[in-house]
Amino acid sequence: MWFKFTLALWAAKLSVPVLKLTRHNGTNFPGELAMKICPSFLRYIDKPARILAVTGTNGKTTVTNLLCDALTAAGHKVLSNRAGSNMYPGVATALLTGTSLLNRCHSDVAVLEIDERSSRLIFPHLTPEIMVVTNLFRDSIMRNAHPQYIADFLTRYIPKETRLVLNADDLISSAVAPDNDRVYFGIERMTTDITECVNRLNDMRICPKCAGPLTYDYLRYHHIGRVRCRECGFESPAYDYAGADASLEAMSVTVRDKSGAGTYRLISDSVFDIYNLVAAVAMLREFGMTHEEIGRCLSETRVVGTRHTDEEVNGVHVINQMAKGLNALACSRVFDYIASRPGEKEILLLMNCLSDERHWSENVCWLYDADFEFLADPRIHVIATGPRGKDYLLRLKLAGIQDGQIDYARDEFEAAEKLYLRPGSSVYLLYGADDSLDLAFKVRQKVLALAKEAKR
Amino acid sequence: MTIELLYPEVCNLYGDLMNVEYLARSSGAEVVRTGLRDTPRFTTEDVALVYMGSVTERGQELVRDALAPHLEALKKRTDAGGVTLVTGNALEIFGEYIELDGGERLPMLGFLPIHSTRRLLGRYNAMYLGLYGDLKIVGFKSQFGHSWGDVGEGLFTTLRGAGLNPDVKPEGVRIGNFMATYLIGPLTVLNPLFAKELLRLMGVEDPKLLFEEEALDAYRARLEDFSDPKRNFTY
Repeated sequence: MWFKFTLALWAAKLSVPVLKLTRHNGTNFPGELAMKICPSFLRYIDKPARILAVTGTNGKTTVTNLLCDALTAAGHKVLSNRAGSNMYPGVATALLTGTSLLNRCHSDVAVLEIDERSSRLIFPHLTPEIMVVTNLFRDSIMRNAHPQYIADFLTRYIPKETRLVLNADDLISSAVAPDNDRVYFGIERMTTDITECVNRLNDMRICPKCAGPLTYDYLRYHHIGRVRCRECGFESPAYDYAGADASLEAMSVTVRDKSGAGTYRLISDSVFDIYNLVAAVAMLREFGMTHEEIGRCLSETRVVGTRHTDEEVNGVHVINQMAKGLNALACSRVFDYIASRPGEKEILLLMNCLSDERHWSENVCWLYDADFEFLADPRIHVIATGPRGKDYLLRLKLAGIQDGQIDYARDEFEAAEKLYLRPGSSVYLLYGADDSLDLAFKVRQKVLALAKEAKR
Repeated sequence: MTIELLYPEVCNLYGDLMNVEYLARSSGAEVVRTGLRDTPRFTTEDVALVYMGSVTERGQELVRDALAPHLEALKKRTDAGGVTLVTGNALEIFGEYIELDGGERLPMLGFLPIHSTRRLLGRYNAMYLGLYGDLKIVGFKSQFGHSWGDVGEGLFTTLRGAGLNPDVKPEGVRIGNFMATYLIGPLTVLNPLFAKELLRLMGVEDPKLLFEEEALDAYRARLEDFSDPKRNFTY
């Protein structure tokens, strides 16, 4: 086995400069190669003394980036898969690139983003010291079925020794691995909170103990909020790390715990990112950093550019915004966010799942779990396009969006020509997690050119 | 006219609830939502359609327990020609049992002459093309198991994809106007012609669908896509 492992390590490490020379860096090939030669590669590779892991449906990449940035700024040598995939080959690639040919790891901390379903393959070989589960929502119907399935999956495979940092405002993810040591984070009542769900998706409608009806003390979106069961008294866990006084005006949130508090600058104006920030702070506190250190180290962090890019041309804001296709909840959050922005808005729906289209036909059921109803606003103009454009068109109409506010063109570049591009308006190009990224940035160039040419 | 939506607090996966919304908005029917702690309306009143959608595995057991006391009423309703539509893995609740990964048998309602399997590491994802009479049906399957049993012609006849299980052509089960299918999601939106047939069964004369032209346009495009022999059918 040791011979196979060494051969795998050397071959995989050799492939890294070769890939760089051929401009294929950033792929997971080294990890895939290593695993092909030695299937137990992850078990034998030397690892940093401390391993932090991040999993959950949404926010994994943002929290991973926050942790990496903060720990690097604090002087740690950090190893991460942030540039690669969050599945087994991506984790293997990250670990081998931080390790010498003699299998000596150069880093003192690893921050690993881990796909929920990949936990089955990764955790037998690697035990995180601390792991955050950001949340569990509906995701791809094909891969993830429903959030309770993923919660059960994590419960089965998370190592018993791992200390968990869990979202108390999410009753699904906060219940994973009940025998593990744990702390909870959450956000105290906000002025924008409600008590009745307005979303199509709410996967926590009944008490997990007695199946009785749940009452929300406050609710943010979907099943995120604080709940009580009227029948058996069950309630959400108390916060160990409480986000308090969250203010989108002041762009700050205070995180309180039993030994102190710190006030942090928000990384964006979405509630989703407040959760991501509080989750990262809770992780760093568990890691051993003080609020002062964390605040200093996080002070320059921004949301990564591929997720949200804004440029103004001729008074038109052209914004590329990730809205993970096949993921009704992620799209609903983006629709809600766009609807809440002031002024006129135009939206190009580019999140067709292009890789699915190459292999089969995208399963469009998720469209009917997503809250397109948020877009039924006279200040919003929506353009459906791409292989599933006709499905989007029908869905938009069923969501109550009036004829004058909808356009359709099968070709994405032709669809861009249907934009009004009025000064003062914002144009959102919504794209999926990876496969429509290139297309979205090409269409963006066209939109920017059209905005430059637009008559004023 | 009333449509009864059974147990929406758990039977709400994969966009299935849009079936009820689409039929109700197209016909003006009132929708009654019956929770796990409620007595179903169909036990005491005539309802045009009873609908139940996809559910979690834990939810299957909750629904079984909630519906068990009303099984006789459901049989009576079915014998009298009452229309019921069950989609996704809610179908399995009406079978005799579900065989779990370890071989254990989880008893179900025994309303249908089928039994099912559950393989939590073997999710089956596929497109579906079939027939309801002369109507072509398009749809999607995403499920942890299949079912076996003598279901006669089933609800649909499979042209491409899996039937009740990958070895048979009949898809779903039909007893009178009790219809159950493994197809998930907004089946009626994806199949506007089937939706109209359903509305006729519910007693709507000359039904018209909401955004019928757009629905037919999307249906025709999908039908052409699914009929292409070069198209892969499994995920």
